[in-house]
Amino acid sequence: MSDTAISLAATASGNSCARRIARAWLRSAAWHVAPWLLPTLLLALWTIGSERGWIAPQILPPPARVYDTLVELARSGDLASHTLISVQRVLVGFGIGTLCGFALGAGLGLSRTLEAYVLPSFNAVVQIPVLGWLPFLLLLVGVGEPLKYILIAHAALVPVTLSTLQGFRQAPATLDEVARGYGYSRWQRIVHVVLPAAVPTLATGVRLAFTKAWLALVVVELVASSEGLGYLIVNGRQLFQLDLVMAAVVVVGAIGFVVNHLLDSLEARLRRGRPSAFRE
Amino acid sequence: MRYFKLLKSLAVFAALITATLHAYADKPSVIRIGVAQQGAGDPPTFGGSPAATVQLQQLLEKEFAADGIKVQWLFFKGAGPAVNEAIADKSLDFAFQGDLPSVLARANGLKTHILLESGVRAGIKIAVPPDSDVHTIKDLKGRRVAMFRGTNLQLVADNALAANQLDERELRVINLDTSSALAALASKGVDASVNDYHVYKLRDQGLARVVYESQSDGPQFTRQSHLLVLDDFEHAHPDLVQRVVNAFVKGALWSSDENNRDALFKLWEKSGVSYASWQSEFAHQTLKDRNSPLIDPFIVARYKAVAQDALKLKLIRQPVEVDTWFEPSYLDNALRAQKLDHYWTRYDAAGKPLS
Repeated sequence: MSDTAISLAATASGNSCARRIARAWLRSAAWHVAPWLLPTLLLALWTIGSERGWIAPQILPPPARVYDTLVELARSGDLASHTLISVQRVLVGFGIGTLCGFALGAGLGLSRTLEAYVLPSFNAVVQIPVLGWLPFLLLLVGVGEPLKYILIAHAALVPVTLSTLQGFRQAPATLDEVARGYGYSRWQRIVHVVLPAAVPTLATGVRLAFTKAWLALVVVELVASSEGLGYLIVNGRQLFQLDLVMAAVVVVGAIGFVVNHLLDSLEARLRRGRPSAFRE
Repeated sequence: MRYFKLLKSLAVFAALITATLHAYADKPSVIRIGVAQQGAGDPPTFGGSPAATVQLQQLLEKEFAADGIKVQWLFFKGAGPAVNEAIADKSLDFAFQGDLPSVLARANGLKTHILLESGVRAGIKIAVPPDSDVHTIKDLKGRRVAMFRGTNLQLVADNALAANQLDERELRVINLDTSSALAALASKGVDASVNDYHVYKLRDQGLARVVYESQSDGPQFTRQSHLLVLDDFEHAHPDLVQRVVNAFVKGALWSSDENNRDALFKLWEKSGVSYASWQSEFAHQTLKDRNSPLIDPFIVARYKAVAQDALKLKLIRQPVEVDTWFEPSYLDNALRAQKLDHYWTRYDAAGKPLS
C-alpha cells in the first residue's frame, strides 16, 4: 500500500518535473518567437493586401517583386557599391561628430564657466532639425561630400555631447572626496574617478548617436546625391519604381538594425565591466 | 424581429450610400487638375504652355461656373514623378505632364488617356557658371551635373549625351528639382544644370552661361507635354471631358496667335518667369508650332521613341504600348466645333509638314 503510494508520488513528481521543463522550454521559445510575430503579421498583411488589390501595386508593390528587385540589385553589384558609399559617409560623419561631442561634452562637464557660456546656445541650436539646416548649408558648402559629413556629424554630435556632459556630472561625490583626500591631482581625478563613472552613459550616447547619424544619412542622401542608399530611394521614386524604393528601405532598415544590435551588446558589456577606481 | 429590424436599417443604409454615389457620378463638385510644375505666386500659376493660358485666363472656371463645379489646379514641386503618385492615389482627374513621366506611369500600369498636346517641341538647356571651362556637352564628362530625374528633361538630356558618346554614368548626376538646381548653379555647387527656360533668369543676372539648347538640334531633341485624363473620370463623365478639352483648345488657339505674342508673354509673366525669358524661349519657333494641341504622326512617333529610349536606358522594365494611349476623339470634336481643322499644321513622323 505504502509502496504504491511512494511510486505514485515518484511518477507524479517525475511528471511535474517533465512538465516544468517543457513549460520552461515553451516560455523561452515564446520569448524568441515573440519579436518575429509582428513582422510576420505585417508581411502577411502586405502579401495578402497586394494579392487582393487592397493597395494599388503602383503604390505598394508585392513583396515578391521587392525581393526580385533586391536580388537583381545585389547581383548587378549596385547594392554593394551604394551601400559601401553610404556606410563610408556614416563612418566619417559619425566619427567626426562623436569626437567633437566627446570634447564638447567633457569641456562642458568639467567647467561650470564654459557651461554657463555655451550650453544655452547649444541647446537652442540643437532644436533645429537636420532638414532645417539644409537650404543654408547647400548654399554654403554645395552639394558635395562635406555637406553629408557636416549633417551626419551634427546628428551624432548632439546625443554624444549631452550624454558626455551628463556622464561627467555623475561622478560619485564620495569617491571624489576620497580621491581629493589622497591628494589626487585634477587630471588624476578625471582619469580615475570621473571617466570610469561616465563610461556607461557615454556608451548609451554613442549608441543613440549612431541611430541619429544613420537616419541623417538617409535624409541627406535623399536631397542631394548621385550615389548611396538614399539616392537609390530617390531614384526609385523619380522613375516611379516603388519596388526599388522598398528594396532600398529594407536594406537601410536591416543595416540600422544589425549595427544597433551590435552597439547594444557592446554597451551591455561596458556597463558590466567595473571601472578601475570602483574596484579598489 | 430584431434581426429583421437590423436588416431593414442595413438596407436603408445601403440605399442611401448608392444614392449618394449616384449623385456624385452625375456631377462632381470639383474637377482636379494636377500640374507637373512647382508653380509660383498665390494662388500658384505657371507659364510656357497653352495649359498655363487656360489657367491664367480662367477658361475652365468660367466654363463650369454655371454648373457649380469648382476647378482645382494642384501644383507639384516634385513635377511629373509626384503627379504620378497623385494619379496612383486617385487624387486627380486630369494631369498636365511631360512625355517621360507619363510613360513611366504607363509602364507601371496607371490607367490614363492622352487627350491633347499642350506645349510641344520644347528644348532643354544646359547652363554652367559664367567662368566655367565647360563649353560643349563633351566637357561635362566627370562633372557634377544637376538633373531632374524622371521628368521629360531627362530623356532629351540622355539623348543629347548619347549624341556626344557619353551617358549618365560618366557624369556625376545629382537629382535636384528645378529651383534647387538653379540655387546650386548660382552658388557653383554643381558644374552644370540640365534645365528649362528657368535658366534664362540666371543668365540675364550674369550668374550662368547657357552652353546648349537642344531644340536647335532637331525634333528628336525636343520634349512634349500633354493633358491626360484618368480612365475612372473619363468613364464617369465623358461630357465633362469634352468641355475641358474644348477649353484647352480655346487656350491653345489664343496662345498660337502671333498677334498675341506680346500679350501671351505678359500673361505668362505672372508665373514669376520674366517676359525676357519667354522671349528667349520662343525666339526661333512660331507660337503655332509650340502650342499646337494636335496629336499628329509626329507626336505619336515622339511618344513611341520616348517609350523605346526609356526601355533601352532601363528607366522602364517592360515595353509601353503607345497607339491606344491617345484618345483624340474629344480633340477632333473640339476642332470641328471651333472650325479649326486646318488651323495647325500636321507633321509627319520625321517632323516634316504634311499638306
